[in-house]
Amino acid sequence: MIMVLAICVAVTFGVSAYLLLGRELKGVAMGVFLLGHAANMAILAASGSPKLDGGPNMKRPPISDTTFDAQLRDGTIADPLSVMVDPVPQALILTAIVIGFAVMGFLLSLLVVTSRNVGTLTLDELAQVHEDEPDEDIDAISRDVWKKRRNESGGTP
Amino acid sequence: MTNRWIVLMVVLPMLTGALSVPVVRRMRLSRAIGLVGMSATLAASLLLLWQTVAGSEGRGALVSQMGQWDAPMGITLVFDTFSGMLMVAAAFVFLCGYLASFGELKPTLERRYFHPLLHFMHAGVNLSFLTGDLFNLFVAFEIMLMASYGLVCLAAGRKRLVHAYKYVVLNLLASALFVTSAGLVYGMFGTLNLADLMRIVGTAVDYGDALPDGFVAVSVLLLTVFGLKAAVFPLFFWLPDAYPTLPTPLLAIFGGVLTKVGIYVLARTFPPIFMVGEAGDVVGPMLLFAAVVTMLLAGVMAVAYRKLRGGLCMMVLVGVGFSVAGVAVGGNVGLSGVAFYASQSMIAAALAFVLCGKLEAHTGADHLDDPHFGGLWREVPWLAVFSFVAFVTLVGLPPLSGFYGKLWIIQAALGGDETSNPNTWVGFAALLTGAITLLAVLRWWTSAFWLGSEHGRTSRDNARPGSRSLSAALGLLLAASITLGLFAQPFLTLAQNAGDRLASPAGYIEAVLNPIDFETPRLANTLSHAQPHPPKPEAHH
Repeated sequence: MIMVLAICVAVTFGVSAYLLLGRELKGVAMGVFLLGHAANMAILAASGSPKLDGGPNMKRPPISDTTFDAQLRDGTIADPLSVMVDPVPQALILTAIVIGFAVMGFLLSLLVVTSRNVGTLTLDELAQVHEDEPDEDIDAISRDVWKKRRNESGGTP
Repeated sequence: MTNRWIVLMVVLPMLTGALSVPVVRRMRLSRAIGLVGMSATLAASLLLLWQTVAGSEGRGALVSQMGQWDAPMGITLVFDTFSGMLMVAAAFVFLCGYLASFGELKPTLERRYFHPLLHFMHAGVNLSFLTGDLFNLFVAFEIMLMASYGLVCLAAGRKRLVHAYKYVVLNLLASALFVTSAGLVYGMFGTLNLADLMRIVGTAVDYGDALPDGFVAVSVLLLTVFGLKAAVFPLFFWLPDAYPTLPTPLLAIFGGVLTKVGIYVLARTFPPIFMVGEAGDVVGPMLLFAAVVTMLLAGVMAVAYRKLRGGLCMMVLVGVGFSVAGVAVGGNVGLSGVAFYASQSMIAAALAFVLCGKLEAHTGADHLDDPHFGGLWREVPWLAVFSFVAFVTLVGLPPLSGFYGKLWIIQAALGGDETSNPNTWVGFAALLTGAITLLAVLRWWTSAFWLGSEHGRTSRDNARPGSRSLSAALGLLLAASITLGLFAQPFLTLAQNAGDRLASPAGYIEAVLNPIDFETPRLANTLSHAQPHPPKPEAHH
């Protein structure tokens, strides 16, 4: 089980590294998203086996029924993590996923703004933007440019 | 010692940010809210810092357990002398930068959620300084970074957008690595609480137990992450690209505060946790090498820069090099030096950037070879004097504040302290860097103020008088910087306290884990159970 997960993590990291090294910003963004998934899977893999010791049966979820809860509370179960899965890594992953969503939204909107204002998403062409050009506030002009382009291209910019 | 109020350091900026969201289109109102909120944060940080050192012995660290879940289980916030000094300096720099922004930013930019983003970034910075938990540190970083991404891209032109990608993508990469290594740390030690990690690693070293497999790898991963935030040698190239495109007030805040968060985390986690045992043999030399190359390279580049903004960014990197060298050398003296140097260099860097903005406004140019520069001392003698003071503070010459931190760091490196691991060539590299940076700032200063320009001053067509708010921020920062230099003794005492607490983590551990009567489980047996702390039964109520 851990081995399968480890291979998944390795492949995902590899693919995201490949995408991140590309010359296309869309690919770079996808690489960043995949990197987040790889990190989450790595946390899952680091949290220990989901199987009970020496058997095919799975451990129980941390929040399941009231009797188990009561046993946990009065300390009947000496080592709870041998019978239930560790809830902390899952909480970490949940938090990381939520943050990943926000980051994804930001990065995608940055891509949209860039393609509108620079007109390209290829790194080689982005590098053509001159170092000494004044950094004018594009938000003020972008709406007009947007409208103009829409009119020129007949509805679909 | 428990103190519930330290959470104010995060709550106040958060609240200010939330309040300024609905009034974002009404500039005066959001400015008023922001000023009140930032002043309150500064006042709270000063009060809390006073609390940590009040009394004869001082109360050490103020600790707050969120939701009363005791230390290794819940989220812990810790306010000790080191984080307190940095938080006071950060709150001050934020306030000054905010003040400067009133006259400097275009209204379109200001209405576009500038105020909330800045307050949220402040909350993220403070949470990074406060948190006593590795994963919560990740969350704090993300709050800070999300807001900073927004600020970097706010009303950006084409050039700034293109440079923003380096900043954003590199930081996202670092965040993914951080999450991974936090998960791995949890897998190894069964805890993410920094005090608990210090305790476990410290006990393992005391008993001669082997640290878990892969500990060195995780240490190197975390070094990469924090090194990128702090902008040390192989990972610093995003900073001189992304920062100089920012408007002056933001530049002062970013350049002053953000790299210090990385330095704080390195100083807090590396000497007691990730530089212990075999990890120290790998990470220690890496950190020393990175620090030395950072300072030398940035110093040489500072000499080469003819754009004042770029050159000042290089001076920020030189400061990063000094601080990281202090962390790597360690010991009471070295870490006291880091505490003092990092907090004073926030103010010094912000001062230099605000001055740079003032100069650019006055001349309408940003390149020192521009005919508008040169011989300015006749026109604005006070600006020449202020610039000299600011530049000399950055370099760290004796009467001014940059000197003391550097002195301690170099002393520790040259072996003036038995608790550190001295490294003579680091000390000499630091001295050499001092000379190089002095050359750099003197070159800037002479070509801006002293030497007359050959072709005669041309008329300044795009010069602005420079706003009053920028001057106010300049005055505040200058006063603070000079006070730190000329009346340094109380601040040095504070820094010594901070360094002592950093060098010997027992006080920190005791302050955080005190509520628990732990019978120290040794690492060897804990690892066989894969979980050192059976959950405390009472905690489930």
